[in-house]
Amino acid sequence: MKIFNGKLLILIFALFSSSRVWAEEATGFAATLSSFSAGVDGFFNTYFGWFVNAVFFSVPMGDTKFPLIVGWLFVAALIFTLYFGFIQFRKFKLSIDIVRGKYTDPNSKEEGEVSHFQALTTALSGTVGLGNIAGVGVALAIGGPGATFWMIVVGLLGMASKFVECTLGVKYRTILPSGAVSGGPMYYLRDALAEQGKPGLGKFLAVGFAIMCIFGAIGGGNMFQANQAHAMLNYAFGIPLEYGIITGVVLAALVFSVIVGGMPSIASVTEKVVPWMAGLYVGMALIVIFANLSQVGPAFSAIIDGAFTGAGVAGGFIGALIQGLKRATFSNEAGVGSAAIAHSAVKTKEPVTEGLVSLLEPFIDTVVICTMTALVITIAGLNMAPFDGAGLTGVTLTAASFEATAGFFKYLLAIAVIMFAFSTMISWSYYGLKAWTYLFGESGVAEMIFKLLFCLFVIVGATIKFGAVIDFSDAAIFAMSIFNIAGLYFLMPIVKAELKSFTDRVKSGEIKRYK
Amino acid sequence: MSDISTDQIDLSRHLIKNGPKFRSHIIIFEETRAYLKPTLSALMFCLIYVLVGVFLLGLAAYIYMGTRQVDLVIFLSVTGAAIATFGLILLKPFMKYSAFDKGSDEFSNNADRPIKLVNITSLQITNKIITSKHGLSYPCYELNVLTKYGRRMNILNHNDLAQMEADAAKLSEFLGVELLDCKKEIVL
Repeated sequence: MKIFNGKLLILIFALFSSSRVWAEEATGFAATLSSFSAGVDGFFNTYFGWFVNAVFFSVPMGDTKFPLIVGWLFVAALIFTLYFGFIQFRKFKLSIDIVRGKYTDPNSKEEGEVSHFQALTTALSGTVGLGNIAGVGVALAIGGPGATFWMIVVGLLGMASKFVECTLGVKYRTILPSGAVSGGPMYYLRDALAEQGKPGLGKFLAVGFAIMCIFGAIGGGNMFQANQAHAMLNYAFGIPLEYGIITGVVLAALVFSVIVGGMPSIASVTEKVVPWMAGLYVGMALIVIFANLSQVGPAFSAIIDGAFTGAGVAGGFIGALIQGLKRATFSNEAGVGSAAIAHSAVKTKEPVTEGLVSLLEPFIDTVVICTMTALVITIAGLNMAPFDGAGLTGVTLTAASFEATAGFFKYLLAIAVIMFAFSTMISWSYYGLKAWTYLFGESGVAEMIFKLLFCLFVIVGATIKFGAVIDFSDAAIFAMSIFNIAGLYFLMPIVKAELKSFTDRVKSGEIKRYK
Repeated sequence: MSDISTDQIDLSRHLIKNGPKFRSHIIIFEETRAYLKPTLSALMFCLIYVLVGVFLLGLAAYIYMGTRQVDLVIFLSVTGAAIATFGLILLKPFMKYSAFDKGSDEFSNNADRPIKLVNITSLQITNKIITSKHGLSYPCYELNVLTKYGRRMNILNHNDLAQMEADAAKLSEFLGVELLDCKKEIVL
């Protein structure tokens, strides 16, 4: 083994040392990559353009067109908020107390369980991702500063959506014979609706969700992450966009080792590092905000003005609302159903506790962190009207805004973006795999096919142009919500009954408060 | 030291928190020796990190020789070194030699204090569920030894139950000790 490794190392260094050979090949390589990028971009536009158009089917509203899917999500969040009596505000303190462990018996804590501070930081790191960084950049580039206001509104309302889906995710999870857990919308749509005497509807919604979840995993959970990771490297280090294939291959190799090899170690390392990255990002944002404290007031004025006038935005305030809602949903995934898959694997006997814990995520993610990003961008002043996305957008707008305060911030942001992208890819590979095995069975072959496809799309995502990726990513993620929310309307009485049972037992003392 | 009854020790408790989602080792039996051999897949998955790290280091060298862009060279070098080092650390457990040797009457894994074979009273297979914040969840199994002095040590840790049961059965026959099924129902 040692001799093999030594020869391999010598060969690799010899190859890279031959700079004359590489110089001659560089021009041809860049041209080939550019051609490949254009080809893939064209493929997506040609073969998936119909899907994007279908998901974002719009109706005329004033000077613009309003995508029905945006209304679908907004109205659902509003209905859940009203149905559960503004639970995100009434039970906010209870949610905090549950995360802090006030309802966990200290004597029952098993060896290896994390402390509640660790649970809090893990929850925080789980919410911070490229949606907070790149997504906000897109929202403000197209929707103007006013999009921030609508992101906050949608974040607050979306807390109720997340509560409903995550409670159901735990209640209807399946424990496989091996002990592994499978849960999420596929299971609660199928099983809960069957309990209600609607097995056909349940199966239809479950299968529809699973199909869209696979697209969502490949789009938003994979290609978008890889694409923005390379865009960040392009901004920070000037690496040409054509060399995205190299970024894609490196990321794909690491993702491959985790999801195919099942190496938990790198995922464990990521779990330990990402909270610090999230803390680093929040710290950087706070530095920018405090360094420009005098501009915070005007920034908020611009946000409020923009929210209701939509000055400079195509479609006016409706345009700002659309962008704010789209980016908020992409970031906090409320109503989409993906969070229910992850939360279903948690060790708890009370489904409602997980629902209450999960409702904190849109608050932290959108109301706090997205707002911080939006303030940084608005304060920097690089995002100017007309807000048509022609200038800086996405992660480059966010990076430039941070760099306006301190030049070296772009390097820290590059490291954070890559860590977040990798962490998100691992998460969504799991969601997509659960949907895939729901449709095609839990066989090793079926799993391997999805995992290899997922790794392939990491490379594709890092290679293609921004427009095709974000359009498809958006459409796939939002398509999941069509099936998920349709089912949630039927199932919300079940959640209400669970909530009543839980709160009654808390009041009676049957569920003890320990601290 | 006095003998400790197995009743006093929770043999179903796992010794290692995590574990891989693939078969990491098999046990090879010879006349007087049984040793752990890492599987090719285990080595390959660890080598991926080493190769990625070396690639990034090579890329850094190439860029330094070409454009001398210092910030990118530093970024690639640090990232490549970190990933390669991580890969080598992952490889280390697979490369260490663990063997039950009847000739020296010892089990040694070159990490912990060796165990005298005569002190081994039983083998146990336990189970655990590996979960992560990503939602990933899969079962993993451990093959552990128990000595008459109450010391427990892990032998195998992977998620191929069929292979582990086969290896455990042969090992219990090789050592002449009982094999206990200490798998428990996982309650979330």
